[in-house]
Amino acid sequence: MRILLVEDTEGLGEVIQDQIADEGHAVDWVKCISNAEASLSTTHYDLLLLDLMLPDGSGIDLLKKIRKAGEATPVIILTARDQISDRINGLNAGADDYLVKPFDLSELSARIAAVSRRYAGNPNPKVYIGTLEIDLTKHIISRDGVVVNLTAREWALLEAFIQRPGTLLSKSQLEDHLYAFGSEIESNTIEVYISRLRKKLGKDQLETVRGMGYRMGLSGPGST
Amino acid sequence: MTLTQTKKPQSLQKTLGIGLTLAVTLLWIFALSGAVYVSKNKLNELFDSSLAETAQRIMPLAVVEIINREDPGQAQQIMSFKAHDEHLVYLVRNNLGQILLQSHNADPAIFNQTLLIGFNSSTTHRFYGISAVQNTLHIEIAEPLTQRRAAITEMAISLLWPLILLIPLCFIGSWVFVRYSLRHILAYRNEIESRGGGDLTTVKVEGLPTEIIPIAESVNSLLDRLQRALESERSFTANSAHELRTPIATALAQIQRLQQKVSAGSIQDDMGKIETTLRGLSSLSEKLMQLAKAEGGGLLSAEPHNLISLLQLIVDDSQRSHPAKIITLTLPNNREYMSAIDPDAFAILIRNLLDNAIKHGVYAQPVEISFSSKGILNIVNAASVIPTETLLQLRRRFVRSNISVQGMGLGLAIADAIVSGVGATMTFNSPAPGQKDGFEVSVDFSTIKD
Repeated sequence: MRILLVEDTEGLGEVIQDQIADEGHAVDWVKCISNAEASLSTTHYDLLLLDLMLPDGSGIDLLKKIRKAGEATPVIILTARDQISDRINGLNAGADDYLVKPFDLSELSARIAAVSRRYAGNPNPKVYIGTLEIDLTKHIISRDGVVVNLTAREWALLEAFIQRPGTLLSKSQLEDHLYAFGSEIESNTIEVYISRLRKKLGKDQLETVRGMGYRMGLSGPGST
Repeated sequence: MTLTQTKKPQSLQKTLGIGLTLAVTLLWIFALSGAVYVSKNKLNELFDSSLAETAQRIMPLAVVEIINREDPGQAQQIMSFKAHDEHLVYLVRNNLGQILLQSHNADPAIFNQTLLIGFNSSTTHRFYGISAVQNTLHIEIAEPLTQRRAAITEMAISLLWPLILLIPLCFIGSWVFVRYSLRHILAYRNEIESRGGGDLTTVKVEGLPTEIIPIAESVNSLLDRLQRALESERSFTANSAHELRTPIATALAQIQRLQQKVSAGSIQDDMGKIETTLRGLSSLSEKLMQLAKAEGGGLLSAEPHNLISLLQLIVDDSQRSHPAKIITLTLPNNREYMSAIDPDAFAILIRNLLDNAIKHGVYAQPVEISFSSKGILNIVNAASVIPTETLLQLRRRFVRSNISVQGMGLGLAIADAIVSGVGATMTFNSPAPGQKDGFEVSVDFSTIKD
């Protein structure tokens, strides 16, 4: 997933970025509202992690603004404000979840996964595609009952397809999904990861539409 | 050493009741005295006039009677035609004082020895004397004073009788009138008296007398200033919490990241200890700030809120934070219970009660939460029976029923401070009602004033 983290605390933002990146997501980290607005205007994000008390304003105002603009990007508020009235204000402004600092990094990962599943239209953490059984919470995938090991980057690529089953995803869309701003991407990186996934999951699981991109979920019978 | 004596406060209602009754009674007595005095003079004038008129009417008849006698110097007593009380008696005497004629009941001893003209009085009678036939005959009429006194006394008593009725009637009337006049002040007093410590909303001034309105407005102004001061303090506490939580969150996240990077061993164990310490620090700072807020007032809001939707939100949140714990929530069908308790105070109360149930309850057993349509919250967790003496101490700070469980003993003290502040009631039961063991906290929100 391509995630935008808006957090002004240096140490905390760095740790959150590393944690999410280790799980295979692409994270852009900004420290103020103006930079967040600039990022949102140029890039499509799958998730926004939003602090409330920022140096140039309130995260709630930014949230209201993007919701007013019709932007449906899932938003998880990360804040030290623990009052129920703040939580209600955040949820009323359009947040999908609200996590109070200090929190466990594992809980943050679980909330990110839950929100992204909800947005993919399938809140069930288990997904079945043909002979594949995928547990999105535990990051376990099995093919014909045999567990397959994927790297974090391979997982992130797989999640991009699972979130949009049957949808054709271009190479640049997949690059945006996997890499943050400033990441060095080799020209054939996506092809390499697609090739690795095909080897591990079966070559029929991912279809190549020449000159257009890739899609998943049509070839496997009984997809849910 | 100086001793200061404080004067016992007087009831305005009692003072006004007694004062008005006393004033009316005194006024009545004063008016009665005046009436008696004026009546007495008028009665005396009337009686004197009758006395003079009677003397002047009898005198010519007496003269004719005496002159026509064979022996004019012989005394004669007039006999009565019919038995009757003779209030007026008379003597007709010559200029030597010899009695020539007297009424049938006249006692010469009561009359003046000298022949006096006009009105005069003895201690027992009132007299009127006149002379005729060149002062050779003299008539003197006597009237007993008791008759006049009896008339005046009867009149005074007839005026006093209403006073006997008037005193209690006046007291009751003035009591009722004063109470009616003070009804808005009494309602104002009751509203202030019935408030919990956390209610700093303004008091209604409608209907109060103009003399009291400035006081009530000053009280409202004071409450408003106090409310703003407390809100400022709360805002400061919230900001302090933010400032404190962020570095703790950073340190906790960093230590968790480090733990992921090192393999199991002594370094990871040490990191685990640091993480536990950080969690304890975070929890303690949060509890202390909650306690400060709970005891600081401002626990009621001007607008009522639906406690059931808030409860659902808090329980959902708690369930997400404790995914392994089974939390059951039973709610009434109407899903609405409006109360003036501040939503943040309510959230702190519920979180503390819920944390207490999760922390001290048997791990594998569910925590059962129910909220009735009458505003009664029950939270039950499985636990060994807690002795009554321990139950009584659980509201105190830093008291725990189970010292083997990690905790600071502040949760129920915070809950108690909030419950007391908003005017609700909280009871602890162990064993839980209908069970052999367990612990139940019951909070009645219906006693909170709107």
